[in-house]
Amino acid sequence: MKSKHKLKLVHLYPDLMNLYGDRGNVLCLQQRARWRGIDIEVVPVGVGMKLPEDYDLLFMGGGQDRGQELVADDLFQKGHQIKASIEAGLPALVICGGYQLFGHYFKTSAGKKLPGIGVFNAATDASNRRLIGNVVVRSQRFGKLVGFENHSGLTKLAASLEPLGQVVQGGGNNGEDGVEGALYKNAIGTYLHGSFLPKNPAVADFLISAALARAGYEAVLTELDDSLEKKASELASKRPQ
Amino acid sequence: MLQIIAILSAKIIFKLNRLTGTGGAALPGLIAKKIDDQILLHLCWNNFPDGIIVVTGTNGKTTTTKLIADILEVSDISYLHNKTGSNLERGIVSEMLRRANWRGRIDAQVALLEVDEASIPAVLSQLNARTILVTNLFRDQLDRYGELQTTAQMIKKGLASQQGATILLNADDPLVASLADNDGNTYMFFGISDFNGPVLKHDYTADSVHSPISNAPLVYSKKYFSHMGVYKSKNGDFVRPKPDWELIKMKNFDTEGSRFMLQSETAQSQEIDLSLPGIYNIYNAIAAIAVAETQGIDEKSTTKVLKNSTAAFGRYEKIRYRDRDVVIVLIKNPTGFNQAIQTYLQDKKQTLVLAINDNFADGRDVSWLWDAAIEDIRSGRIIVGGLRRYDMALRLKYAGKTGQVVDELTACLDRAIDVTKEGEPVYILPTYTAMLEIRRFLVKETEMEDYWK
Repeated sequence: MKSKHKLKLVHLYPDLMNLYGDRGNVLCLQQRARWRGIDIEVVPVGVGMKLPEDYDLLFMGGGQDRGQELVADDLFQKGHQIKASIEAGLPALVICGGYQLFGHYFKTSAGKKLPGIGVFNAATDASNRRLIGNVVVRSQRFGKLVGFENHSGLTKLAASLEPLGQVVQGGGNNGEDGVEGALYKNAIGTYLHGSFLPKNPAVADFLISAALARAGYEAVLTELDDSLEKKASELASKRPQ
Repeated sequence: MLQIIAILSAKIIFKLNRLTGTGGAALPGLIAKKIDDQILLHLCWNNFPDGIIVVTGTNGKTTTTKLIADILEVSDISYLHNKTGSNLERGIVSEMLRRANWRGRIDAQVALLEVDEASIPAVLSQLNARTILVTNLFRDQLDRYGELQTTAQMIKKGLASQQGATILLNADDPLVASLADNDGNTYMFFGISDFNGPVLKHDYTADSVHSPISNAPLVYSKKYFSHMGVYKSKNGDFVRPKPDWELIKMKNFDTEGSRFMLQSETAQSQEIDLSLPGIYNIYNAIAAIAVAETQGIDEKSTTKVLKNSTAAFGRYEKIRYRDRDVVIVLIKNPTGFNQAIQTYLQDKKQTLVLAINDNFADGRDVSWLWDAAIEDIRSGRIIVGGLRRYDMALRLKYAGKTGQVVDELTACLDRAIDVTKEGEPVYILPTYTAMLEIRRFLVKETEMEDYWK
């Protein structure tokens, strides 16, 4: 058991995949760790930069189509390494555009097929409708989840892949099969912005705790006062779609 | 004939609106457009002998348009201005119909139109502007507009439909500067080359940071906020254009306003006194100067207006309420929020009210609160209200700050006054519909001007 609690979080493409306040997720992980005496160092990794040898958490947000095209090739080159880490239990959170590129491919509205890195056994095709609005999801593992979706890419999961949860309100992965997001080992993909983690602290704590366990620390987290988080989630889930 | 029916119908609705006391500013235009689809074209055809001025972009439209209106006013140029806030096609049509006689004649030399970015293609396809101003392009209510690139494409399409217009672009915004084209219009630029005021530590709102030609990253020699500054791409294929109106020396910059030297092509360098605070208002002022010069207006009128200017509706409105100075600064997107933080929220003595709604006009998505530089707020006391008050309180919590949540929006004001000593200011930063609600309350309680009148 190590004594000093230090974790390293890789933030993929913060300059290009940074829309919709997704950086709030990184802030949330950092603060919830800090409040428990755990230090999270954030390492931004951009196009053409190397992943660090060893790290404990991975995050990638959503971006504009242009941003997504600019990072797709670079991500593909890092794909092998990332996939291996996730197979070995690396906790990761990828949102919207990041989620799409963690599947097998994303076919844009212009018909261009951006190759994904296949962490999730899923694929995304652009559509001519946009799923926009407040979303409420019922997750077996995390309970009620809330967020805001805004995507025209429709994602289909393979039957073997577990979704993050069942859609109670909103579109979710594709607006048809009633599921949202994906969960594979310790990696989570979702369309939910909001930011996602601050109003869904159970997911944040799951990621931190998985990172601690993998790094050889005690993985049991002390309880925090989440009354504000609960109220924000409660209010958000009552807003119209 | 269709046009006359459309005009008469709109006139009847205006009458009814006045009788019932409702202020649905855009409804007459909506109805008229249903009857005559090209009503805007028909109205613009034979009116406005001194040209049409169009102002668009994400932030600063309303303030810049107001400055231009004030300049036209002191220059004795009669004008039409869609100032009641509806900057969609139907709002513009409404204002024209309100001013038109039954045959469609409008008694105004100039039309000054503030136009929503998404309405630009529809509006510009029906008129030929003399001057078009694009202020800036920032991330804004993405649930409504989609992506920044899409907005830029829409504006580009609108500009291409113009013949012989003078198009004024912000040189310091890479995406706006990249709109310049070889399409028979005259493209000119304005920009700031000297700035010594404070900048934010936690500014994460820059979106256009790659060359539109090669996608090479942009390198900034100066950066003021978001992606605004002096830049060139790493491979040199995209360089900030040399501004035709250039702030070359900042002489003074404080919370009351600024004084600076402006070099323009036509005039000698001139000293400008601006009575509006913040670097974002300097952009608004320089843009207004550029428009005025393009319209051939004497520079004395312009400098006079800028020296005594007041901001537009809800954009920096000062009011006395219960013996305190209350200032309203509308926030609509992270860049606007950041500019308010950078300009106003750096004093411990002040009380801050953050009023966040998520109605359609505000944008349903509140994710943008996480992009704003909340960490840079220095206000001593923070009170939080609005439909998404807990989202705001949560954002503050994760920035290591505490916001006092008040359930009733207008009760926030009284709470703020209760905790503020005499002589200390209260700043209210509301989203659009929260601003309307707070203003309605203050109009009732104070001497504040009701803008519907």
